[in-house]
Amino acid sequence: MPTAVEPQTATPRGLPGENRVVAICGPPNVGKSSFFNRLTGLHQKVANYPGITVEKRVGSLRLEDGGQVDLIDLPGIVGLHPRSEDERICVEVLRGRSDALPRPVAAILLLDSTNLQAHLRMVPGILGLGLPTLVVLNMADELEARGGSVDTEAVSAQIGAPVVLASAVTGAGMQEVARFLQGSLAPARKVELPVINNIPAERKWAHAVVARSSYHAPEPSLWGRRLDRIFLHPVGGPLIFLAVVIAVFQSIFTLAVPLMDAVEGAIGVSAEWIGALLPDSILKGLLLDGVWGGVGSVVVFLPQILILFLFIGLLEDSGYLARAAVIADRSMRAVGLEGRSFIPLLSSYACAIPAVMAARTIENQRDRLATLLVAPLTTCSARLPVYALLIAAFIPERPLIGPFLGTRAAVLLGLYAAGLLAACGTAWLLKSAVLKSKPAPFVLQLPAYRWPTIRSLTFRLIDRSKIFLRRAGTVILVTTIVLWFLASVPYQNGEPPPIGESLAGSIGRTIEPLVEPLGLNWKIGIGLITSLAAREVIVGTLGTIYGMESDEGSPALQQALQAELSFGGAIALLMYFAFAMQCMSTVAIVRRETGGWTWPAIQFAYMLVLAYSTGFAAYRIFG
Amino acid sequence: MPGTEPDSLDHLSPGVTAVIAALDFEEADRVRLMELGFIPGSSVSCQRVVPLGDLAIFQVEGTQVALRKETAARITLQPSSAGREPDADGG
Repeated sequence: MPTAVEPQTATPRGLPGENRVVAICGPPNVGKSSFFNRLTGLHQKVANYPGITVEKRVGSLRLEDGGQVDLIDLPGIVGLHPRSEDERICVEVLRGRSDALPRPVAAILLLDSTNLQAHLRMVPGILGLGLPTLVVLNMADELEARGGSVDTEAVSAQIGAPVVLASAVTGAGMQEVARFLQGSLAPARKVELPVINNIPAERKWAHAVVARSSYHAPEPSLWGRRLDRIFLHPVGGPLIFLAVVIAVFQSIFTLAVPLMDAVEGAIGVSAEWIGALLPDSILKGLLLDGVWGGVGSVVVFLPQILILFLFIGLLEDSGYLARAAVIADRSMRAVGLEGRSFIPLLSSYACAIPAVMAARTIENQRDRLATLLVAPLTTCSARLPVYALLIAAFIPERPLIGPFLGTRAAVLLGLYAAGLLAACGTAWLLKSAVLKSKPAPFVLQLPAYRWPTIRSLTFRLIDRSKIFLRRAGTVILVTTIVLWFLASVPYQNGEPPPIGESLAGSIGRTIEPLVEPLGLNWKIGIGLITSLAAREVIVGTLGTIYGMESDEGSPALQQALQAELSFGGAIALLMYFAFAMQCMSTVAIVRRETGGWTWPAIQFAYMLVLAYSTGFAAYRIFG
Repeated sequence: MPGTEPDSLDHLSPGVTAVIAALDFEEADRVRLMELGFIPGSSVSCQRVVPLGDLAIFQVEGTQVALRKETAARITLQPSSAGREPDADGG
């Protein structure tokens, strides 16, 4: 008899058209994503659960017998007592209470074979949910390399579920996983499991199972401790942290240049082809100036975004990021934010929206509010194209510390630091005045050090490219087309007007008095309006405006900016983008998370004042 | 062990192993700490104290977890368990 399972649902592979969702779950840092990638390859998509922005990763897998299953990669959980939003989603899906997904027909519980005693503790809870479950002991390669071994049949007999020793890195054990998905893996004999919800009892049970499974725990990896000695060294640790950050920023400029030139070249060549193919018409203008000039000028920044995320991926996958969090803890505490605020703030370097969502992991409501109010001040990746464009146009490249740090990377580093300082300063203000509270316990799990795999890094970059290009193809495309129309009317003698006399031009001139104190002209002013949709839209907007203005297609955006903007104006613009809440999606998410317009309105106004006043000051100082 | 016996986790010196006795937290925090491995009966060792900060890194149930001193202070240890080899009641 299968374990706690109705016989008719024992096979995950349903008939065509039927639900055949199989959930992959397990604790964090057991290689769930690599395992998911190994099974589904590129047949996967990332979407958000409706109403919230926890990422939902679903992939399909075609089985040898012609069937197909949909695999879902659930967020990591350490038990069935969810505290954060993503843990709650995981448990809801497993219990069949999610609106987004039908109840899975089966589950794969992924555990770390090198840490069997601690991880087996999760088995009773997951099996108790009543789904046919395969327990996969992942990281078999590491277990073997460090001299460990386990008798999977003995484990299986004791827990009453099939058990497979596998490695997502080498692919070992994957055939057996496929056989489970086909429903052809023999079910295990039912056994009695300990009382659920009693962690000490579960722990005792897990230790007993392990003791009867000829488990040889792997030798502790000594180099993990050696690395900790270096990375957490009182003086060396922070210095290494600084060096790593500098290396990341320097390579955003040096490594990305040839790639960006290639993308720019490809866009230029394709624009010429289209220009030669199409007759002179409105459509040609829209395509070349609007779409190619606008969207193209944003897409050029894809290589820099990817380099940033390649480094973030390397730092996260290797296990270094958690050590950096330990080093940063002291500074977090100095501004009154408690430990758990660090991870949301860190993730806002990618995008403030998941950061605002991730603040839900903070139970203290005042800490949570402080965190989500300051998160949009940290430098999200949508600012990078704006920064990169202005820095390349206005900051001459000179070495500062030999070849390690140039002026451009230093300015970029300064902008990130400015965002962080503003976030910390604001947090300190909030915490010492309106949002005082008692600290919550700080707990941070430090994953083992691992070599990042090329596979997992590649999947991360593919994900990032998809997100970036999707934005370019939606928000940026739409705003660019709208702008192109506004800039093409009203017709004068059957011809589009000079841009200064177009509808867009008159809107720009109306707001010009507002942006003039920052040393900006009306064209940039239009960009400030369009980029309320998303920050990088300003690059597309300027690409379109300058493209339409010039007779010979789009001149390099940098030269156009150099001609129109003073150095002081450029610095003012950088300051404005560092601090202003130029992102309607973030406003919307803060409204939803705080349950009203009060906090997002205060936040928007505060950031606008900060942006405008620093921009004004910068223009006065740098003229 | 020379000196006084450590009675709570924050008094555990680097390199020393002891057995957890109890956790003095609200229920939700207690469950979360147990899920992360701080279970009464589990052996725990202090791996390092992070200087300048008041964090310490502990090895418990096969994982490394960083705790602040004030959190560690509310995890009590079994008397005369310090220095012993892990797992007095595990199997």
